This record gives sequence, structure tokens and C-alpha cells, in this order.
Amino acid sequence: MDFELILLFLQQGIASGLVVGSVYALLALAIVIIFKTSEVPNFAQGEMLMAAGYVALYLLVFRMVPAWAAIPMTVVVAFAAAALFRRVVLTQVARASGSPVNLVIATLGLSYVLKGLVRQTGFGDTPRSFPSLVSTESVMIGQASVTKLDLTILGTAVVVMAAFFWMFGYTKLGRAMRAVGMNPKAAQLVGVDLNRIHVIVWGLSGAISAVAALLIAPKLLMTADMGSVVTLGFAAAIIGGFASLPGAIVGGFIIGIVENLVGLFVSSRAIVVAPFLAIMLVLILRPQGLFGGRVMIKKV
Amino acid sequence: MTTTRNGILKSLMAASWLVAAGLAPAAQAQEPGLTDTTIKIGMFAPLSGANMAYGFDVANAARMYYDKINKEGGIHGRKIEVVLEDDRCNANDLVAAVKKLVEQDQVFLLNGGSCSAAVVAAKDYVVRSKVPMIMLNASGDGALYPPTDYIFGAFSISQYAVGGAMVEFAAKTFGAKKIAYINHDDAYGVWNLEGSRADAEAGKVDLVVESISPTITDVTAPFFKLRAANPDVIAIVTYARPAALLIKKAFELGYNKPIILSVTGTANLAQMAENVGGKDALKNFYVQDVLADLPGGPKIKWVYDMYKAAYPDLAAKPDHPQAYMPYGIPSAMSIVNALKEAGPQPTREKVLEALKKQNFDSGVMAGPVVFGPTERAANKSTIFIKYDGTNQVLQPGVFTSRWKYKG
Repeated sequence: MDFELILLFLQQGIASGLVVGSVYALLALAIVIIFKTSEVPNFAQGEMLMAAGYVALYLLVFRMVPAWAAIPMTVVVAFAAAALFRRVVLTQVARASGSPVNLVIATLGLSYVLKGLVRQTGFGDTPRSFPSLVSTESVMIGQASVTKLDLTILGTAVVVMAAFFWMFGYTKLGRAMRAVGMNPKAAQLVGVDLNRIHVIVWGLSGAISAVAALLIAPKLLMTADMGSVVTLGFAAAIIGGFASLPGAIVGGFIIGIVENLVGLFVSSRAIVVAPFLAIMLVLILRPQGLFGGRVMIKKV
Repeated sequence: MTTTRNGILKSLMAASWLVAAGLAPAAQAQEPGLTDTTIKIGMFAPLSGANMAYGFDVANAARMYYDKINKEGGIHGRKIEVVLEDDRCNANDLVAAVKKLVEQDQVFLLNGGSCSAAVVAAKDYVVRSKVPMIMLNASGDGALYPPTDYIFGAFSISQYAVGGAMVEFAAKTFGAKKIAYINHDDAYGVWNLEGSRADAEAGKVDLVVESISPTITDVTAPFFKLRAANPDVIAIVTYARPAALLIKKAFELGYNKPIILSVTGTANLAQMAENVGGKDALKNFYVQDVLADLPGGPKIKWVYDMYKAAYPDLAAKPDHPQAYMPYGIPSAMSIVNALKEAGPQPTREKVLEALKKQNFDSGVMAGPVVFGPTERAANKSTIFIKYDGTNQVLQPGVFTSRWKYKG
């Protein structure tokens, strides 16, 4: 491989990696905010993304709703559905057993229900294209070629992530969420309504998934299995340190770039394996993740 | 003692007479799924779920052919009775369907399988049970090679031949000397690459290979690597979803050399045109097909007419008949031929022997159905169609892979 080609692959790998990585980062953020407040990994996160994508597809393509209305409608529906699941199902499951394992099983159940619902509609039987709201015309950045859609994806993801960090850092709601994440009992003692916070966190997680779906769907094809992309969100969360919000973001970008560079410099076959190798390396060298705090053992 | 010996001898003679006179028909009657008036065939196909497009109408095509035979009087006076199960193109569901058909429904033979990975899962059970299995439209090379006495398939085409025929077309039509070849990184991909290499070697063509996961979400890296190799043609031998992502990427990057898509990715061409970003992405685009003519073309119009007559309600729906519908005919034809050739008292063994000798032109597929002592894949020939998102133009010639099973 000559130097010119190495330079081209390097630039392209980083540019494409940043684009897909920004979506993985959003997904990781959605996973981490739930985990931080309830210590439950949400295994339905991918299906929440998939279902939100189909809601948007239905509104835009089958109901011809204009994008300016369809996009907020999708985000609101995703927020409401996720919040409702937390309020109705998870609250009941937690009350009935109190074991976090049952909550995890409930999220797995949700993933199957959402997949089944989409298949039932018939829209999920064939891979479908999601209309791109931005031009897919190519733009050169250095030697790397990206589309205007790619730049929009990256820009939107960064804005959404920045908005969340602002909310966590500078609003009363964000501070309450952080308090619940640090010590729920203490938060409750100072007047934070735990149930309300959990419901809002789930709603926000659903809304982030909807944004991720709107961004990534034009690049993927819509199928009932498209939620499997969340595996990379989990990978990003693990690399960043499962309870760290900045870690999730950095992890997402790392996964995106590693995937692309491995595909370009090693082999296309290795693309699927690369994120898991990265996870293994991080778990061996720094088990708490790149941005995780020191490992703590809970007393039982 | 002598009396006892005589008694034994008499008993043995009586037993021999009984065997000669009566037991042979009794054994005949024990052949499962067979009565004096019916032959029970167990069919299985994806009748629901995401992979329905691969086999729902294929099974319908086979059934309408059996109905036609029944209307003509059946086979040696016996009517064909079909028991149909849904396998959802899923290995677990398929094996469960096969076991039900063999053990509960006691079918004479099996006719099913539209998805290779799923149908291969039934191989061990079928061979152990010694039930003839004639696939519908699955390539199923994993169950066909090494050959067994019980399994026949690839009526659509063998995966080995898919890749080889693509190389043959690219070399002959475009004079390609370097072909960028994208396949899956699974058994499917290994098989079609082996066939492609055989043809590339024979035609002195350089293959630049990128193997990708069928679930790949970002095709930037493999596409850039292939483009950097500066090929004359890109040959995509994947399922529809990764194929659409690759064609879309090629369009976004302004790639304008010929792109050829294998038959594995052509289940719904209209949807594909939409998925790749419209007609502009398909300006230099060719698809492989295994039929004798364009879908609905004059040579195979009778199949489409038969479908309309047999399933008027389905035919009125926009997505029917599904693209692979005609593939069900040669499979059913082979079974009917073999049953006829097995004579008025057929056994599974006689039918298997007759299947091994099948060599006929179905009039539906690009090449003839040819089985042999070690050949279990029916078809190795393909045609190619230029597709611009609306119109389909048949390209001259039939392209056949040189690949042969070496044992």
C-alpha cells in the first residue's frame, strides 16, 4: 500500500468514523442515562430506535406529513412511549419483585414486543429506504469524501449531545437526575421524586433514540432488525465506562473510527469484530472503562 | 425329533409361500404417504415473516403445478396431496416442520426450502430418516455437497455457479480483466467465491475480493478499498440489503463503471431502486437472473398465466407474484417426472434412483435440470438483465459457471 493510499484511507476512516460514531455516541448516551439512574441496562434500546424510525417512516412516507411536523412528532411519540413503559411496566415489575434482574428481563420483553409489532404492520417485511431530508451530494474534506447528509448527522448529534450536557449541568432537572444517579436514597431525602425522575429519564432516552433513528435511518435500510446497531452503542458505553456520560460520547467516536480504520487497513471481515476487540482490550487494561471511576465493590 | 424337523420345514415353506404371495404387497402398503389413490408430499417454505418474499409464491407455484397434474389424472392414477408448513426461513422452524411432516403427517417425500442456511440444518435428519428431499428454490449447497442419496436442490441455481456465472458475464460482456468482487463472509460467500475463482482462473481475470458481514451497517470501508483497486466492473454477490447500501454508496461517490448484482439480491427490484436513491444510481446496472426469459417474458408467460388462474386474489395484489415465483415449477416438475418414472408401485428408493437420472429442460429456468451420480445441484446457468429502475432489457447469451464438484 503506497503512502498516498494510506493517507487517503486514514482521512476517510476518520471522517466516516466520526459520522457513524456520533450516532453510536447518541445511543450510548441513551443507554448510560438509564443505567446511571436505575442500574438497569436497557436491552430494548435498539428496538426503541427501530420503532421510532418506523414511526417517522410512517408519518413521512405513508401519511405524507411534512418533515417539520413529522420529526418533532416522532420524538414526542418516542418520549411518551418510553416514559409510559417505565411508568406502567417497570414500576409494577420493580414493586412486585424489587430485583434488578426482572427489570432487565422486562426490557428484553419490550424489545421482542416492539419487533413483533413492527413485523405485524407489514412495513418491516422488506428493507425500506428512509427518505433523506438532506442532500446526499458528496463533499470533499481534504481527501476524504463525505456527503452533506453525513455532515448534518455529525452536526445534529453534536448539538443534541451538547444540549443534554447543558441540561445535566445547568438545570434543576439535570441536577436531580445526577443526584438520583449518585445516591437515590439521599436524593429522595432532599425531596427528589424518584419515580418522576425515572419516568423522565426513560422518556429522554426514548427521545435520544428517536433522534439517532432519524439520523442513521437514511444511511441504513429500515428493517425490523435494524435495532442491532445498538450493540455498537453498548460497545461505546463499555469503552467509555458504563456510567460515564462523556465516556459514552468518546466511546461512540472511538468505535466509529476503529470500525472504519480496521475495515480500510485490515479487512472488511474484521469490521464486525473490531468493536468487540476494542471492548476486550479496554476491559483487560482498564476494566472501569476509559472514563469510569475506580472500581468499587458493593457490600452484600 | 424327525417330526419336529418336518414341522419346522413345513412352517418355513409355508412362511416362504406367504412372503411370496402376500407379504410383498403388505410391504408396499407400508411405504409412508402412499395409498392406491394418493401420494402425500410434505412442503415447507417461508409463508410469513421477513423472508416471505423468498418462498411464499415459490411454494404456490409448485402447488399449482401439482394441481395441474391432478387435473390431468394424477401420476399412475394417484392424486398428489400436499401438506404445507411454514418454516419462516429459520433453521429451528424448518427442522421442526420437516420432523412434523415426516413423523406426524407421514409424507412420501419432502419438497421444500427457500433459504439455504435454514434448509442445510435439516440435512442430518433427512439423511438419517432416508426420506427424499427435493428443495424448492434454496441453493442449499451445504446439503448438496458432498452428495447424499436423499437430497436434491439448487433448482434456482447453485451458489458455486452464481459467482462463476457473474465472472463469465463480466469478462465476456465488458471485457473485464479486473473484477471487484463483494461477497458475504459466511458459508454462502465461500461457496460462490470458489465458483468465481474457477471461472476467473480459466478466463485469466483478476478478482479483488472484499467479504462483508450480511449485517454490515456502514459499507464505506469495503467500497473505498474496492474503488482504490480500480476495477473494470463491480460484482456484488450479497443479499438485497448490503447490495442496496453498496450501490447507494457507489452513487454518492460518483462511481460510474458497470455494477452487476447477483440473483441473491434481486427479490424486489422496484424496492431496490427506491432503496438505492432512485434511477440515477442505476445508470450502469445489471442484475443476474436464473429464468429462461425476463420475468413475464414470452418464454415463461405460461407460468405467470397459470399463477393468475390459480390464485386470482393474490395476483391482484401489487407485490404478487413475487419475483422468485417461477422457481417452484422445475422442482415440482422433477418430482412429478421421478414419480412417473418410478412406475405404478413407487418406493422412495425407486424415486431417488429416478431423480438421479433427471435431465430435462423445464422451459422456465436459464439452463436445464441436470442431476447425476454425484451431481445434486439442478441448475448452473444464468441470464443477465440491464435494469434502470423501470425497464428491464435482456442481455444476449446464457452464462454458465465452469465450476464442477471434485469430490
